[in-house]
Amino acid sequence: MNEFIYNIAVWIDDTPYSAMLHESYYMYNWVESTHVLTLMVSLGMLFLIDLRMLGYAFPDVPASKIAERLNIPMLIGFTVMFITGILLFYAVPVRSAQSIWFRIKMVLLVACAINAYLFHKRMSESVSSWDCEERAPKRVRTGAVLSLVFWTIIVICGRFIAYDWFDCDYEQSALVEFVAGCIDGQTRF
Amino acid sequence: MPITILGPYSRTILTIFVIAAVLGFSFTYVRIDVYTALMPFFEWMETTWFGYIGKTWGAAFATIQAGHLIGLAVLGGCVLVSDGRLLGLILTDVPHRTVIDRADAVFFWALVTLLLTGIFMACGVAMKIYYLPVYWYKMLALAGGILFHYFIRRPLLVHDLNSINSTVLKMTAIASILVWFLVAATGRWIGFSG
Repeated sequence: MNEFIYNIAVWIDDTPYSAMLHESYYMYNWVESTHVLTLMVSLGMLFLIDLRMLGYAFPDVPASKIAERLNIPMLIGFTVMFITGILLFYAVPVRSAQSIWFRIKMVLLVACAINAYLFHKRMSESVSSWDCEERAPKRVRTGAVLSLVFWTIIVICGRFIAYDWFDCDYEQSALVEFVAGCIDGQTRF
Repeated sequence: MPITILGPYSRTILTIFVIAAVLGFSFTYVRIDVYTALMPFFEWMETTWFGYIGKTWGAAFATIQAGHLIGLAVLGGCVLVSDGRLLGLILTDVPHRTVIDRADAVFFWALVTLLLTGIFMACGVAMKIYYLPVYWYKMLALAGGILFHYFIRRPLLVHDLNSINSTVLKMTAIASILVWFLVAATGRWIGFSG
Protein backbone atom coordinates (compact mmCIF):
# COMPACT_ATOMS: atom_id res chain seq x y z
CA MET A 1 0.00 0.00 0.00
CA ASN A 2 2.75 2.46 1.00
CA GLU A 3 4.68 1.63 -2.16
CA PHE A 4 1.56 2.26 -4.22
CA ILE A 5 1.03 5.65 -2.54
CA TYR A 6 4.72 6.48 -3.07
CA ASN A 7 4.56 5.55 -6.78
CA ILE A 8 1.45 7.68 -7.28
CA ALA A 9 3.15 10.59 -5.49
CA VAL A 10 6.27 10.21 -7.66
CA TRP A 11 4.09 10.15 -10.77
CA ILE A 12 2.37 13.38 -9.69
CA ASP A 13 5.75 14.87 -8.82
CA ASP A 14 6.95 14.16 -12.37
CA THR A 15 4.13 16.15 -13.94
CA PRO A 16 5.37 19.54 -15.18
CA TYR A 17 2.65 21.58 -13.45
CA SER A 18 3.56 20.11 -10.06
CA ALA A 19 7.11 21.39 -10.36
CA MET A 20 5.89 24.70 -11.78
CA LEU A 21 3.53 25.26 -8.88
CA HIS A 22 6.15 24.26 -6.32
CA GLU A 23 8.82 26.47 -7.84
CA SER A 24 6.56 29.46 -8.35
CA TYR A 25 7.20 31.57 -5.26
CA TYR A 26 4.17 33.82 -5.74
CA MET A 27 1.69 31.21 -6.98
CA TYR A 28 2.54 28.72 -4.25
CA ASN A 29 2.27 31.41 -1.59
CA TRP A 30 -1.03 32.64 -3.02
CA VAL A 31 -2.46 29.12 -2.87
CA GLU A 32 -1.12 28.55 0.65
CA SER A 33 -2.39 31.95 1.85
CA THR A 34 -5.83 31.27 0.41
CA HIS A 35 -5.84 27.87 2.13
CA VAL A 36 -5.01 29.47 5.49
CA LEU A 37 -7.11 32.62 5.22
CA THR A 38 -10.21 30.69 4.18
CA LEU A 39 -10.13 29.31 7.74
CA MET A 40 -11.94 32.50 8.69
CA VAL A 41 -14.91 31.48 6.56
CA SER A 42 -14.94 27.70 6.99
CA LEU A 43 -13.72 27.07 10.53
CA GLY A 44 -15.00 30.45 11.69
CA MET A 45 -18.56 29.48 10.78
CA LEU A 46 -18.17 25.89 11.94
CA PHE A 47 -16.84 26.91 15.37
CA LEU A 48 -19.69 29.40 15.79
CA ILE A 49 -22.20 26.62 15.06
CA ASP A 50 -20.44 24.30 17.53
CA LEU A 51 -20.22 27.02 20.17
CA ARG A 52 -23.93 27.74 19.68
CA MET A 53 -24.74 24.10 20.45
CA LEU A 54 -22.63 24.34 23.61
CA GLY A 55 -24.39 27.54 24.66
CA TYR A 56 -21.35 29.83 24.33
CA ALA A 57 -22.37 31.76 21.20
CA PHE A 58 -25.69 33.24 20.10
CA PRO A 59 -27.57 31.47 22.94
CA ASP A 60 -30.80 33.37 22.23
CA VAL A 61 -30.86 32.64 18.49
CA PRO A 62 -32.56 29.35 17.52
CA ALA A 63 -29.92 26.65 16.97
CA SER A 64 -31.46 25.52 13.69
CA LYS A 65 -31.26 29.05 12.33
CA ILE A 66 -27.56 29.35 13.15
CA ALA A 67 -26.79 25.91 11.72
CA GLU A 68 -28.77 26.46 8.50
CA ARG A 69 -27.71 30.04 7.78
CA LEU A 70 -24.01 29.58 8.54
CA ASN A 71 -23.89 26.29 6.67
CA ILE A 72 -23.71 27.87 3.21
CA PRO A 73 -20.73 30.21 3.80
CA MET A 74 -19.07 27.39 5.74
CA LEU A 75 -19.41 24.99 2.80
CA ILE A 76 -18.14 27.65 0.38
CA GLY A 77 -15.12 28.10 2.66
CA PHE A 78 -14.50 24.36 2.88
CA THR A 79 -14.77 24.02 -0.91
CA VAL A 80 -12.06 26.67 -1.39
CA MET A 81 -9.93 25.00 1.30
CA PHE A 82 -10.39 21.62 -0.34
CA ILE A 83 -9.34 22.91 -3.78
CA THR A 84 -6.33 24.81 -2.45
CA GLY A 85 -5.45 21.80 -0.26
CA ILE A 86 -5.37 19.55 -3.34
CA LEU A 87 -3.17 22.11 -5.11
CA LEU A 88 -0.78 22.20 -2.15
CA PHE A 89 -0.56 18.40 -2.21
CA TYR A 90 -0.08 18.50 -5.98
CA ALA A 91 2.85 20.89 -5.56
CA VAL A 92 4.66 18.73 -2.97
CA PRO A 93 3.25 15.22 -3.42
CA VAL A 94 5.99 12.86 -2.18
CA ARG A 95 6.82 14.68 1.04
CA SER A 96 3.12 15.28 1.81
CA ALA A 97 2.15 11.65 1.16
CA GLN A 98 4.90 10.51 3.53
CA SER A 99 4.19 13.06 6.24
CA ILE A 100 2.82 11.58 9.47
CA TRP A 101 0.95 14.81 10.13
CA PHE A 102 -0.62 14.83 6.69
CA ARG A 103 -1.78 11.26 7.20
CA ILE A 104 -3.28 12.03 10.63
CA LYS A 105 -4.94 15.08 9.08
CA MET A 106 -6.54 12.98 6.33
CA VAL A 107 -7.83 10.40 8.83
CA LEU A 108 -9.27 13.18 10.99
CA LEU A 109 -10.90 14.81 7.96
CA VAL A 110 -12.76 11.56 7.34
CA ALA A 111 -13.67 11.41 11.06
CA CYS A 112 -14.94 15.02 10.81
CA ALA A 113 -17.09 14.18 7.79
CA ILE A 114 -18.67 11.23 9.65
CA ASN A 115 -19.14 13.36 12.76
CA ALA A 116 -20.75 16.16 10.70
CA TYR A 117 -23.15 13.65 9.12
CA LEU A 118 -24.15 12.24 12.51
CA PHE A 119 -24.37 15.74 14.00
CA HIS A 120 -26.82 16.90 11.32
CA LYS A 121 -28.80 13.67 11.55
CA ARG A 122 -29.18 13.94 15.33
CA MET A 123 -29.98 17.61 15.07
CA SER A 124 -32.65 17.30 12.40
CA GLU A 125 -34.28 14.45 14.35
CA SER A 126 -34.78 16.42 17.53
CA VAL A 127 -34.18 20.13 16.95
CA SER A 128 -37.85 21.10 17.16
CA SER A 129 -37.92 20.14 20.85
CA TRP A 130 -34.89 22.20 21.94
CA ASP A 131 -34.34 24.78 19.14
CA CYS A 132 -34.66 27.83 21.39
CA GLU A 133 -32.87 26.36 24.41
CA GLU A 134 -29.51 27.80 25.38
CA ARG A 135 -27.73 24.44 25.12
CA ALA A 136 -28.40 21.53 22.79
CA PRO A 137 -29.03 18.02 24.20
CA LYS A 138 -26.02 15.96 25.25
CA ARG A 139 -25.86 13.90 22.05
CA VAL A 140 -25.63 17.01 19.88
CA ARG A 141 -23.20 18.69 22.31
CA THR A 142 -20.94 15.64 22.10
CA GLY A 143 -20.86 16.04 18.32
CA ALA A 144 -20.01 19.73 18.70
CA VAL A 145 -17.16 18.99 21.14
CA LEU A 146 -15.80 16.26 18.84
CA SER A 147 -15.93 18.69 15.93
CA LEU A 148 -14.02 21.34 17.90
CA VAL A 149 -11.39 18.81 19.05
CA PHE A 150 -10.93 17.17 15.64
CA TRP A 151 -10.60 20.47 13.82
CA THR A 152 -8.19 21.84 16.41
CA ILE A 153 -5.97 18.76 15.91
CA ILE A 154 -6.32 19.14 12.12
CA VAL A 155 -5.07 22.73 12.31
CA ILE A 156 -2.20 21.64 14.56
CA CYS A 157 -1.29 18.82 12.13
CA GLY A 158 -1.49 21.32 9.28
CA ARG A 159 1.10 23.47 11.04
CA PHE A 160 3.28 20.45 11.89
CA ILE A 161 3.48 19.39 8.21
CA ALA A 162 5.87 22.30 7.68
CA TYR A 163 8.39 20.74 10.12
CA ASP A 164 10.77 17.96 9.05
CA TRP A 165 11.01 16.04 12.36
CA PHE A 166 9.68 12.78 10.88
CA ASP A 167 10.65 13.14 7.23
CA CYS A 168 11.73 9.95 5.46
CA ASP A 169 15.08 11.42 4.34
CA TYR A 170 16.23 11.38 8.00
CA GLU A 171 16.94 8.26 10.02
CA GLN A 172 13.71 7.38 11.83
CA SER A 173 12.51 4.68 14.20
CA ALA A 174 10.76 1.65 12.72
CA LEU A 175 7.39 2.91 14.02
CA VAL A 176 7.80 6.32 12.37
CA GLU A 177 8.96 4.71 9.11
CA PHE A 178 5.89 2.47 9.18
CA VAL A 179 3.39 5.24 9.94
CA ALA A 180 4.98 7.66 7.46
CA GLY A 181 5.17 4.94 4.83
CA CYS A 182 8.89 5.35 4.11
CA ILE A 183 10.10 3.00 1.36
CA ASP A 184 13.48 1.21 1.54
CA GLY A 185 15.84 2.75 -0.97
CA GLN A 186 13.49 5.47 -2.08
CA THR A 187 15.20 8.17 -4.10
CA ARG A 188 12.54 10.86 -4.10
CA PHE A 189 11.60 12.81 -0.96
CA MET B 1 -14.41 69.75 27.79
CA PRO B 2 -13.52 68.41 24.33
CA ILE B 3 -15.90 65.45 24.73
CA THR B 4 -18.85 67.83 25.06
CA ILE B 5 -17.72 69.98 22.16
CA LEU B 6 -17.33 66.97 19.89
CA GLY B 7 -20.73 65.61 20.88
CA PRO B 8 -21.72 61.99 20.21
CA TYR B 9 -18.93 61.55 17.65
CA SER B 10 -16.12 62.34 20.10
CA ARG B 11 -14.56 58.86 20.09
CA THR B 12 -14.85 58.52 16.32
CA ILE B 13 -13.18 61.89 15.73
CA LEU B 14 -10.49 61.16 18.32
CA THR B 15 -9.78 57.77 16.76
CA ILE B 16 -9.48 59.25 13.29
CA PHE B 17 -7.16 61.88 14.79
CA VAL B 18 -5.00 59.17 16.39
CA ILE B 19 -4.81 57.18 13.12
CA ALA B 20 -3.94 60.36 11.19
CA ALA B 21 -1.31 61.26 13.80
CA VAL B 22 0.27 57.79 13.54
CA LEU B 23 0.34 58.03 9.75
CA GLY B 24 1.84 61.52 9.95
CA PHE B 25 4.34 60.32 12.54
CA SER B 26 5.42 57.44 10.29
CA PHE B 27 6.74 59.96 7.75
CA THR B 28 8.97 61.74 10.24
CA TYR B 29 12.45 60.93 11.58
CA VAL B 30 10.90 60.39 15.03
CA ARG B 31 9.77 57.02 13.71
CA ILE B 32 13.40 55.92 13.35
CA ASP B 33 14.19 57.08 16.91
CA VAL B 34 11.23 55.11 18.28
CA TYR B 35 12.21 52.08 16.19
CA THR B 36 15.74 52.19 17.58
CA ALA B 37 14.49 52.70 21.13
CA LEU B 38 12.32 49.59 20.85
CA MET B 39 15.25 47.30 20.06
CA PRO B 40 16.19 46.54 23.71
CA PHE B 41 12.56 45.58 24.35
CA PHE B 42 12.66 43.01 21.53
CA GLU B 43 16.04 41.73 22.76
CA TRP B 44 14.47 41.30 26.20
CA MET B 45 11.47 39.47 24.69
CA GLU B 46 13.79 36.75 23.40
CA THR B 47 15.25 36.25 26.87
CA THR B 48 11.86 35.66 28.50
CA TRP B 49 10.47 32.21 29.31
CA PHE B 50 8.15 32.48 26.28
CA GLY B 51 11.09 33.44 24.09
CA TYR B 52 13.16 30.50 25.37
CA ILE B 53 10.35 27.97 24.76
CA GLY B 54 9.48 29.46 21.38
CA LYS B 55 13.09 29.23 20.19
CA THR B 56 13.98 25.82 21.57
CA TRP B 57 10.78 23.81 21.37
CA GLY B 58 9.45 23.80 17.82
CA ALA B 59 6.39 21.70 18.66
CA ALA B 60 5.24 24.19 21.30
CA PHE B 61 5.74 27.09 18.88
CA ALA B 62 3.77 25.31 16.13
CA THR B 63 0.96 24.38 18.55
CA ILE B 64 0.65 27.98 19.69
CA GLN B 65 0.67 29.01 16.02
CA ALA B 66 -2.27 26.66 15.49
CA GLY B 67 -4.03 28.31 18.45
CA HIS B 68 -3.35 31.67 16.80
CA LEU B 69 -4.95 30.39 13.58
CA ILE B 70 -7.99 29.09 15.44
CA GLY B 71 -8.36 32.44 17.21
CA LEU B 72 -8.14 34.11 13.81
CA ALA B 73 -10.75 31.74 12.37
CA VAL B 74 -13.23 32.46 15.17
CA LEU B 75 -12.55 36.20 14.99
CA GLY B 76 -13.05 36.09 11.23
CA GLY B 77 -16.26 34.13 11.67
CA CYS B 78 -17.61 36.74 14.11
CA VAL B 79 -16.66 39.62 11.81
CA LEU B 80 -18.24 37.95 8.79
CA VAL B 81 -21.46 37.08 10.62
CA SER B 82 -21.81 40.47 12.28
CA ASP B 83 -20.85 42.53 9.24
CA GLY B 84 -22.65 40.13 6.92
CA ARG B 85 -25.80 40.89 8.91
CA LEU B 86 -25.23 44.63 8.55
CA LEU B 87 -24.86 44.10 4.80
CA GLY B 88 -28.07 42.08 4.74
CA LEU B 89 -26.31 38.92 3.56
CA ILE B 90 -26.62 36.55 6.51
CA LEU B 91 -29.05 35.81 9.36
CA THR B 92 -31.39 38.40 7.88
CA ASP B 93 -34.32 37.04 9.90
CA VAL B 94 -32.53 37.62 13.22
CA PRO B 95 -32.55 41.17 14.65
CA HIS B 96 -29.41 43.25 13.97
CA ARG B 97 -28.93 43.94 17.63
CA THR B 98 -28.94 40.27 18.65
CA VAL B 99 -26.43 39.24 15.97
CA ILE B 100 -24.07 42.16 16.62
CA ASP B 101 -24.11 41.84 20.42
CA ARG B 102 -23.72 38.06 20.47
CA ALA B 103 -20.99 38.09 17.82
CA ASP B 104 -19.17 40.81 19.78
CA ALA B 105 -19.01 38.63 22.90
CA VAL B 106 -17.27 35.82 21.00
CA PHE B 107 -15.14 38.35 19.08
CA PHE B 108 -13.66 39.60 22.37
CA TRP B 109 -12.43 36.14 23.41
CA ALA B 110 -11.12 35.41 19.93
CA LEU B 111 -9.17 38.68 20.06
CA VAL B 112 -7.77 37.80 23.51
CA THR B 113 -6.66 34.40 22.13
CA LEU B 114 -5.03 36.10 19.14
CA LEU B 115 -3.18 38.59 21.33
CA LEU B 116 -1.95 36.03 23.89
CA THR B 117 -0.76 33.52 21.29
CA GLY B 118 0.66 36.38 19.22
CA ILE B 119 2.74 37.62 22.16
CA PHE B 120 4.10 34.10 22.71
CA MET B 121 5.01 33.75 19.04
CA ALA B 122 6.58 37.20 18.90
CA CYS B 123 8.82 36.33 21.87
CA GLY B 124 10.13 33.25 20.05
CA VAL B 125 11.22 35.19 16.98
CA ALA B 126 11.53 38.69 18.44
CA MET B 127 14.70 39.84 16.67
CA LYS B 128 13.60 38.35 13.36
CA ILE B 129 10.30 40.21 13.36
CA TYR B 130 11.93 43.39 14.64
CA TYR B 131 13.73 43.67 11.29
CA LEU B 132 10.68 42.67 9.22
CA PRO B 133 8.76 45.68 7.83
CA VAL B 134 5.67 43.51 7.32
CA TYR B 135 5.54 42.77 11.07
CA TRP B 136 5.17 46.49 11.71
CA TYR B 137 2.51 46.72 9.01
CA LYS B 138 0.64 43.96 10.79
CA MET B 139 0.92 45.73 14.15
CA LEU B 140 -0.39 48.92 12.56
CA ALA B 141 -3.23 46.98 10.94
CA LEU B 142 -4.02 45.24 14.24
CA ALA B 143 -3.99 48.52 16.18
CA GLY B 144 -6.16 50.04 13.47
CA GLY B 145 -8.54 47.08 13.66
CA ILE B 146 -8.89 47.26 17.43
CA LEU B 147 -9.32 51.04 17.39
CA PHE B 148 -11.82 50.79 14.58
CA HIS B 149 -13.81 48.04 16.29
CA TYR B 150 -13.97 49.51 19.79
CA PHE B 151 -13.88 53.23 19.08
CA ILE B 152 -15.74 53.61 15.80
CA ARG B 153 -17.82 50.55 14.97
CA ARG B 154 -19.11 49.68 18.42
CA PRO B 155 -20.06 53.22 19.55
CA LEU B 156 -21.86 53.66 16.24
CA LEU B 157 -23.78 50.41 16.53
CA VAL B 158 -24.83 51.13 20.13
CA HIS B 159 -27.44 53.50 18.71
CA ASP B 160 -30.78 52.40 17.31
CA LEU B 161 -29.72 50.90 13.98
CA ASN B 162 -32.93 51.98 12.28
CA SER B 163 -31.94 55.58 12.95
CA ILE B 164 -28.58 55.21 11.20
CA ASN B 165 -28.25 55.77 7.46
CA SER B 166 -28.07 52.32 5.81
CA THR B 167 -25.15 53.43 3.63
CA VAL B 168 -23.17 54.33 6.75
CA LEU B 169 -23.92 50.87 8.20
CA LYS B 170 -22.85 49.13 5.01
CA MET B 171 -19.66 51.21 4.73
CA THR B 172 -18.84 50.39 8.36
CA ALA B 173 -19.37 46.68 7.69
CA ILE B 174 -17.18 46.71 4.57
CA ALA B 175 -14.46 48.70 6.38
CA SER B 176 -14.56 46.21 9.26
CA ILE B 177 -14.21 43.19 6.96
CA LEU B 178 -11.37 44.88 5.06
CA VAL B 179 -9.42 45.93 8.16
CA TRP B 180 -9.55 42.42 9.69
CA PHE B 181 -8.70 40.84 6.34
CA LEU B 182 -5.69 43.16 6.22
CA VAL B 183 -4.64 41.98 9.69
CA ALA B 184 -4.90 38.33 8.59
CA ALA B 185 -3.17 38.90 5.25
CA THR B 186 -0.23 40.80 6.75
CA GLY B 187 0.07 38.04 9.36
CA ARG B 188 0.32 35.45 6.60
CA TRP B 189 2.83 37.64 4.81
CA ILE B 190 5.12 37.46 7.86
CA GLY B 191 5.37 33.72 7.21
CA PHE B 192 6.79 34.33 3.75
CA SER B 193 9.32 36.94 4.84
CA GLY B 194 12.74 36.72 6.39
